[in-house]
Amino acid sequence: MRHIRITAVVIKELIQLKRDPRSLVMIAMIPLIVMLLFGVGYGGGTGKISIAVVNLDKGSLSWTVLDSIMKTPSVYVKAYANSIEEGRELVKDGTVSATVVIPEGFTEELMKGASTQVLVIVDESITTISSTIRNAMLAVTYKFQQELVRSVGGSSVELIYSSVYGPKVTNLEAFTPLVIGIVLQLVPTSLISIAICKEKERGTFEQLIMSPISRYDIIFGKLLAFFIATIADMLITLMVAVWIFDVSVRGPLIDAMVVSTLFLLGSLGLGMLISVLSRNQLQANQAAIFIFIPALLFSGALMPIDMLSPSARILANLTPMYYFVSAFRDIMIKGFGLWQITWEVFALSVYMVLMMVTAPLVLRLRVD
Amino acid sequence: MEYAIEISGLTKKFGDFVAVDNLDLRVRVGEIFGFLGPNGAGKTTTIRMMCGLMRQSKGTIRIYGYSIPEERSELIKITGYMAQRFSLYEDLSVYENMEFFGKLYGLNGEGLHKRIRELLEFLDLEDVKDRLAGRLSGGMKQRLALGVALIHRPKLLVLDEPTAGVDPPIRRAFWEYLRGLNKEGTTILVTTHYMDEAENCDRIGLMNKGRLIAEGTPKELKRRIFGGDLVEVVLQGRIQGDVIKGFLNVGDLKYKDGETVLRLVLKDASKELPSLLKRLDSMGLKVQSAEPINVTLEEVFIELVTKSEARVRGEAY
Repeated sequence: MRHIRITAVVIKELIQLKRDPRSLVMIAMIPLIVMLLFGVGYGGGTGKISIAVVNLDKGSLSWTVLDSIMKTPSVYVKAYANSIEEGRELVKDGTVSATVVIPEGFTEELMKGASTQVLVIVDESITTISSTIRNAMLAVTYKFQQELVRSVGGSSVELIYSSVYGPKVTNLEAFTPLVIGIVLQLVPTSLISIAICKEKERGTFEQLIMSPISRYDIIFGKLLAFFIATIADMLITLMVAVWIFDVSVRGPLIDAMVVSTLFLLGSLGLGMLISVLSRNQLQANQAAIFIFIPALLFSGALMPIDMLSPSARILANLTPMYYFVSAFRDIMIKGFGLWQITWEVFALSVYMVLMMVTAPLVLRLRVD
Repeated sequence: MEYAIEISGLTKKFGDFVAVDNLDLRVRVGEIFGFLGPNGAGKTTTIRMMCGLMRQSKGTIRIYGYSIPEERSELIKITGYMAQRFSLYEDLSVYENMEFFGKLYGLNGEGLHKRIRELLEFLDLEDVKDRLAGRLSGGMKQRLALGVALIHRPKLLVLDEPTAGVDPPIRRAFWEYLRGLNKEGTTILVTTHYMDEAENCDRIGLMNKGRLIAEGTPKELKRRIFGGDLVEVVLQGRIQGDVIKGFLNVGDLKYKDGETVLRLVLKDASKELPSLLKRLDSMGLKVQSAEPINVTLEEVFIELVTKSEARVRGEAY
């Protein structure tokens, strides 16, 4: 009896999804569009930050510095200015993100064996840009000093880097876990969030609960149907990443799918809970989007969790997206298998079960 | 079992507002019971409580002996329900809707398909079985809703304003279906605010402001307001009132074109009218015509509401 009822609900939901163009677009197009935008935006292109240079030195060593700046991959010299004031104006009006000022007598001081300075005027309004400039200038100064020591003589310390999980992780690869996480939370949650309240709004709920259906039949029938529909999202995002953008998953692909499925089921359960608690479709949609914001902020992908304040770290530890992004990253970039990320898998399983169990407990088979 | 529905002391409060006020009601097995009253009288609330869709504030409900809401799952097996608003899936076809609800009742395979075919034929929906429910006309939607309510052969049919917003000829046709089902033994509880429809019911309950203000067969209710049946007798010639007032309960006496038109109230016209005519004849009065006046339930209702409200006011002062 029960399997007939659940199957009936699954079939009904799938037919309704099939006939609803908006849902179809959401299921198929949104993940595709998000992945393509992301791939085009983050892949391939090596953007450079523009800077200006003010060279007040008349010696030859300033040219060595400039040469080293030109060779730095993350910046390019867009303008030359004649005074510090002029250079500062260029940063202020946004023409460049920073101005490097080599002072008068730069070569002379160095030749005397004295210390000297290079002034960097930085636009601090975008922290990623300013920190990139700091890093670039640090590298330039370091290289210059190595060369100076070599030509003049003296002792120095050289840094040698050796990478783990390298040789190099591209931007695209670094952000793939987050983008997959975004798709796997946003699409299923907002899609299913109207599942119950739509029936209540249209009055079909009243007829439905006058039949021998239980709240478990309603909830799990709908969850199963939406799971079948949104499993496509998981496949689309993974396939686009792997085949179109050439993101390599170093760990087992099947493990990546298991983690994605856990998270997808959790998202569906969350959406279902929202649906049971919402009075109408508008409220449900808003809740689905609102709940997505902290998930994004505390995912650990925008800002590593270790760099957050202790209270924010607690929030992050309660954010399922954080566990998903971290688990997926470990599989994709570090080549881990499920047994190496048992904590994340456990956390995601708890989240999934909690969401699945709460929705039917909250649902009341009444019209009030 | 004698009663299909037994309700006593049923009350529903929404905050301070009393939607259903201490209602007692009994519906016998096999009858069509009509629940009448204007919008907002509390009919839908009563029905929803009966079906366990809403919890009562007070009072007991027994449907075929099952106590509601505790034994709601038993009630559902024997009850077919049609909500006030069309509440089937507009994006499913006629057939898909029936199939879905049939499966919820555990029907499956050939048994289910046979039952659906039977209902499609009975309700004349065969031609539109693949049409989306949202594209049906009002009358078709109503028949489909009835079909879904009947899918599991319920003993009790609960219909909340099934004919609201439907044209009169379609309303009449719908009542044909209901009478047919009733003949096969289905007990029917139906609410309506169309008074003319209530004539189809075996018994009716008039509801106003959450109270049941009268209950009985349509005939009984009509008698109740005037204290009996209303009969119009036309006599030849101008007859003086005091000649007959001695033994007759005359409501109204008029002269028209040399005739006397009397409006009489008889306890039971079918029994008393022949002897009355004999008596008038023996007095030498020529009876031109004598026939019962058809009082509509609407008039009855207005009369009863006015009386009951006057009584309520009387209690208050």
